[in-house]
Amino acid sequence: MAYPSMGEAHRRITDYLNNFSDAVSYQDVASLAQLFSFSSNSPPLLSVADALNFFQDANRLIKQSEKFSQYGEILAPLFRSLQSYRTGNLVDAYHAFEKFANAFIQEFRNWESAWALEALYVIAYEIRVLAERADRELASNGKSPEKLKGAGSFLMKVFGVLAGKGPKRVGALYVTCQLFKIYFKLGTVHLCRSVIRSIETARIFDFEEFPRRDKVTYMYYTGRLEVFNENFPAADHKLSYALTHCNPLREANIRMILKYLIPVKLSLGILPETSLLEKYNLLEYNNVVQALKRGDLRLLRHALQEHEDQFLRSGVYLVLEKLELQVYQRLVKKIYFIQKQKDPSKAHQLKLEVIVKALKWLEMDMDLDEVECIMTILIYKNLVKGYFAHKSKVVVLSKQDPFPKLNGKPVNS
Amino acid sequence: MNQVTDIQTLASLDPNSVENRYVVNASHGQTSSYVPSTTGSEVASWNMYRVDNDSVESGSFSNSTYHHVLHTEPSIRTIQDGSNAASLAMSSSIGATNAQQDYNGYSSYSNSSEPYSYVSTGYQGYYSGYQQQPNPTYSQPVGAYQNTGAPYQLLSSFQNTGSASYSSTYYNPADYQTAGGYSSSSYSHQTATWNECNYANYTTQQYSSYTPDTSGTYVAGNAATNSFLYQQHYKQWADYYNQTEVTCAPGTENLTVSSTSTQVSQVPSDCGGYPTSNGPAPSWKPESSSSLTPSSQTGVMVSDSCDSYWEHLSQSFQNQHPSLAQLHFQKPLDSKSPYQEQQKTDCLQGPSLQCPAAQQTPQNHQLPLQTVQSFDARRVSKLQIQTNPRIASNLPFGLQKLDKEGSDSAVAKPAYISVSLPKPSEKAALPNDAADSVLKTGMCPKSLKSYVEMALGQCKDEKQVAACKEVMKEIIMKASNDGTLHTRDWDAEPLFPIPNANMADKNNLESSVPVSLFPKHKKSPTRRSKSRWEPLPEDTVDKLGSVNNYATKNSSWIHVNGKDWKLAAANPEGKTDVMNNIRFPLMDQKSASKIVQRPVKRQRLADLNASDNGDASSDSEKEHKLTTNYSAAITVSNTPEERKRRENRYKRFEKVQGHRAEINDFKAKNAGNGNIYVRRASALVLIKSFEDGGNRAVEDIDWDALTVKGTCQEIEKQYLRLTSAPDPSTVRPEEVLEKALTMVQNSQKNYLHKCDQLKSIRQDLTVQRIRNQLTVRVYETHARLALDVGDLPEYNQCQSQLKILYAEGIEGCHMEFSAYNLLCVIMHSNNNRDLLSSMRRLSDEAKKDKAVQHALAVRAAVTSGNYVKFFRLYKSAPNLNTCLMDLYVEKMRYKAVSCMSRSYRPQLPVAYIALVLGFCSCMSTNDGSDEKDSDRLENCVDWLKAHGACLVADSNGEMQLDTKASSSSLYMPDPEDAVAHGDASLAVNDFLTRTLP
Repeated sequence: MAYPSMGEAHRRITDYLNNFSDAVSYQDVASLAQLFSFSSNSPPLLSVADALNFFQDANRLIKQSEKFSQYGEILAPLFRSLQSYRTGNLVDAYHAFEKFANAFIQEFRNWESAWALEALYVIAYEIRVLAERADRELASNGKSPEKLKGAGSFLMKVFGVLAGKGPKRVGALYVTCQLFKIYFKLGTVHLCRSVIRSIETARIFDFEEFPRRDKVTYMYYTGRLEVFNENFPAADHKLSYALTHCNPLREANIRMILKYLIPVKLSLGILPETSLLEKYNLLEYNNVVQALKRGDLRLLRHALQEHEDQFLRSGVYLVLEKLELQVYQRLVKKIYFIQKQKDPSKAHQLKLEVIVKALKWLEMDMDLDEVECIMTILIYKNLVKGYFAHKSKVVVLSKQDPFPKLNGKPVNS
Repeated sequence: MNQVTDIQTLASLDPNSVENRYVVNASHGQTSSYVPSTTGSEVASWNMYRVDNDSVESGSFSNSTYHHVLHTEPSIRTIQDGSNAASLAMSSSIGATNAQQDYNGYSSYSNSSEPYSYVSTGYQGYYSGYQQQPNPTYSQPVGAYQNTGAPYQLLSSFQNTGSASYSSTYYNPADYQTAGGYSSSSYSHQTATWNECNYANYTTQQYSSYTPDTSGTYVAGNAATNSFLYQQHYKQWADYYNQTEVTCAPGTENLTVSSTSTQVSQVPSDCGGYPTSNGPAPSWKPESSSSLTPSSQTGVMVSDSCDSYWEHLSQSFQNQHPSLAQLHFQKPLDSKSPYQEQQKTDCLQGPSLQCPAAQQTPQNHQLPLQTVQSFDARRVSKLQIQTNPRIASNLPFGLQKLDKEGSDSAVAKPAYISVSLPKPSEKAALPNDAADSVLKTGMCPKSLKSYVEMALGQCKDEKQVAACKEVMKEIIMKASNDGTLHTRDWDAEPLFPIPNANMADKNNLESSVPVSLFPKHKKSPTRRSKSRWEPLPEDTVDKLGSVNNYATKNSSWIHVNGKDWKLAAANPEGKTDVMNNIRFPLMDQKSASKIVQRPVKRQRLADLNASDNGDASSDSEKEHKLTTNYSAAITVSNTPEERKRRENRYKRFEKVQGHRAEINDFKAKNAGNGNIYVRRASALVLIKSFEDGGNRAVEDIDWDALTVKGTCQEIEKQYLRLTSAPDPSTVRPEEVLEKALTMVQNSQKNYLHKCDQLKSIRQDLTVQRIRNQLTVRVYETHARLALDVGDLPEYNQCQSQLKILYAEGIEGCHMEFSAYNLLCVIMHSNNNRDLLSSMRRLSDEAKKDKAVQHALAVRAAVTSGNYVKFFRLYKSAPNLNTCLMDLYVEKMRYKAVSCMSRSYRPQLPVAYIALVLGFCSCMSTNDGSDEKDSDRLENCVDWLKAHGACLVADSNGEMQLDTKASSSSLYMPDPEDAVAHGDASLAVNDFLTRTLP
């Protein structure tokens, strides 16, 4: 890239400064936000960055005019960050950006209205992204990546600025979502709790008044938390909310939601259409669904094994594993139907041997005791109605609705 | 108080008194090995003594409670009263609860009272020292003798301790502990240094040690009634007075001799006490155990060992009664019954019994009772005499006060006593004033006294004593002529006396030895004080000086002990006692040297305070002075004069450094014992030596620079959590650690022992920053052992370390432990995210490992609730997976049974349940397993019943689980080992019962 001439550089920087001071004085959020949006890599920003690298004494320009110097605390680190960002020194860029963000927050606090929220959003987003990239840089240098953590604590500060009463509260959820992203990335999910509490206990502000995109994101993350806790009804509620409110054009987001919603729905006994899985490229669930449909234990285990890494990473492995009982139920149900076709009068008495044999066909090598145990568990969890007669080794099924459907209720645990 | 009075008397006597003391000291010195040690140390101790008294006063002042007392009864200053009060306070506090507790809780409070007790003990010790004079053999008598010697020094030290404890009120409990150490002499020292942090242990230990030292009585007091002990102390004091007076009187030498002989009889008793003390000492080493059952053990021990002593005490007690009616009164209040009981027991056992063992001197033993009685009589008479004529002023006060005190609370009195002390000292001090601060009033006598005592202590035989006396006389005369008597810092003076003493004495070794210790001590104490326990930086400075003194004392003691010990061992008589003694001496030597450091500091402070306070007390405007004095004392400490003194002292020590080798020899000899304390102490010393100014806080140490290369060759070593930098001589190098590990692995001892050993190995590894396969093996071994006994906390420590070590690429049984980790997460953390992340971390290779596969299978069984699979896996578990599963068995069984009772109808045979739920050890049907079957059936039935299951017998007589009835009646019983604090593994007794078999 050709370096600009001295005059050109001077002009670009002055333009930038003028844009900034104009945006602030006219409360023009859109143009203000643009000035901070590093990651957009917009040509004007990049050209300013180049100019800064060429024209080393930008601070003098800031101090030149009263108009700019009153924002010197904001602008000086911003320039430094922009410079470092342009030269690829992300760690320095992050440091300077955090300084700038702190100064901006200070200023933001003094503004009565919430006009600059959008700019704040950009800052919150940028600092997170910048921290992630800085961490990557640090990790590649063998240093301990801790910038994201720092960004987390900065955002907590921002959250504190926004979470009070007043018009700025609308922005709290956006910051919360950025925090969620950080915490999930860092694996410090427990830190979410305090933020969630402050969002959900605030009666003054209706949740519905938050921007839709924030609501969706928030529901997505809290739904994931519920999946971790195996609280399936709550997870279902939150993820379904996220799904229904999600912008239907954002397929990536929908997919992310479905990634958790499908296992949750499965464990509630609700199976997805194959077309849905295909549409959102969630075919890893396909075999799981098939196994549930067929009562094919072997298929389930294979599916789990095949995608073990994926499931473990997303955290649904344990959820899917618990589907085993439903697969057993399906299997027993099938046996029951076959028996019923043969001899309706004795259909409700299932011999243990038969089940063992069926499992053998599925290459599941289990002996009587083990299968007996599984049958008792099925009965205990109310997946099968009836009782087990130990003496005769027979499952005696209830004549009424021997295989109750879950219908959106979780398996008794 | 008593001490103070004594001092005063001495002071009043002036030259004569001094001489007398000399004599006394000489006698101590004569005790043989003692002499050398005592000389240097004693001098210091004496000085300290005085100071202590002063300090005691100040201490009382400092304490609010004390203040009150003072206010109420400012006039009361009799020594006796003071002592009584002290005793009362002690008894009250102690009597209510164990000595330990009191000490801990009260720290300051107890301290005030303690000083008292200490003083008394010190006196006793003094006595014993006296006795020793006549019979050099005594000293030999064994550890016991040494102990007595220790007590003797303790006297001074005691007072010091008093002051120390005093300071402790200001500073910390740690001080207190140190004080205790003083009193016990070597004993207490050891304990103090070690424990440092452990107050409870300390207190108890100290006490126990005290008892032995001062006399069995003290211990008894701890166990049963402190008051009693105190009374005894009093008696002893009285005796002491008598003796001192006698000596002081004209005949001096002759008189002293006689007195000494009489005292000798007492000494035996004391010695007897010693052996007992030894008894407790062993218990000490275990630390916790001793602390746990200090009262009972000590009581018994004391009674045994102290029988003779008791008698003496009782007699003396009676004697005192006439003289000190109030004292008696107080005693009853505290607890006479125990006292009497103890006496009885003692009588039964016979004082002589223990004495012989402990003491070699036959004379005493043979006629202990008689001698004692006669002594008592003498003492009584003497005491009275003393009080009346010589102490005159003091005595009247004391009497009055005593009366008053009877009504007053015991607590308040102790402080008083201490306060009162200064006055007498003032009077006496006139000629002898030593320290500048002391100059003002009665403070002086102390330092001078101590000085004199030190000088005398150096003497081993009468000749030396005489020579020493002469020298001392000259010095004192000179000083008085110069008018520097008051101005001179007698504490700092030792340099002069030592040479003198040396000239007179032929045994310089011991004296020198103490000196060698000094440098270390100095640094250590300051450090100590600064780093943690002492809020006041200025104090530390002061303490240094005192520390030095102490150190000298201690060091001397150590030597003595060592010698005594040897002697004792050599003596056939000592057989039984010797056992105890042996340990003691060893402990004492090491601990003493190291422990001393702290006390010294405190003494220092005490001295300063004392000097200031002494003035105040004399003025009778104690209230104001309390605060003012204290501050004044502090300032004094910082004055250039003080610094000069300190410097002098330091120099003194430097001279002696050459002797350090000797000490090391001792250490080496004792090393066999593996005394943690000693090592600890030495470690402390080393740390201190690292410091430049001695003012750096422990926290400031550059640990990187201190990475230790161990030199210790012992394979076995007890674990003691470091509170300071490690001492290379107590840290084992890698080769030795390797041996230690194999030793532990092959050891047949119980887990607690192994755990202790492994922890010490781990510590040594950490300290030396050894991180290699040995480290991994140590942690693995420990983790396995911990798993074996279900010690999860310890296991977790090891596991987390192993995780790091494996991550560093050090090879080990990685798979085995990742399996354990998995199991742990599954069964105990109950956190899905943790489980997921640890599952995700498993490498493909790990997933193929048998142990890991097993763990994963267990996880699956647990999450699905498949109890059949779980118990099958339980039986086929590799490594120690079983142990971890064990911890989940109960839960799993309960889940299983509740599942069964819901799913089975109408009944389920118990035999089946027993089979499925792993109640039998072997599932396979062995022909001869009928018995086993019935056993496991019974187990299962018991378990089911315990969990509320309904069992019925069917027509064949087989037990059946009535599932329908059970489904509503099942419950999880409270664990039998439930503990109030929620963690059963913390219940020591339970833990022991679980692991010992």
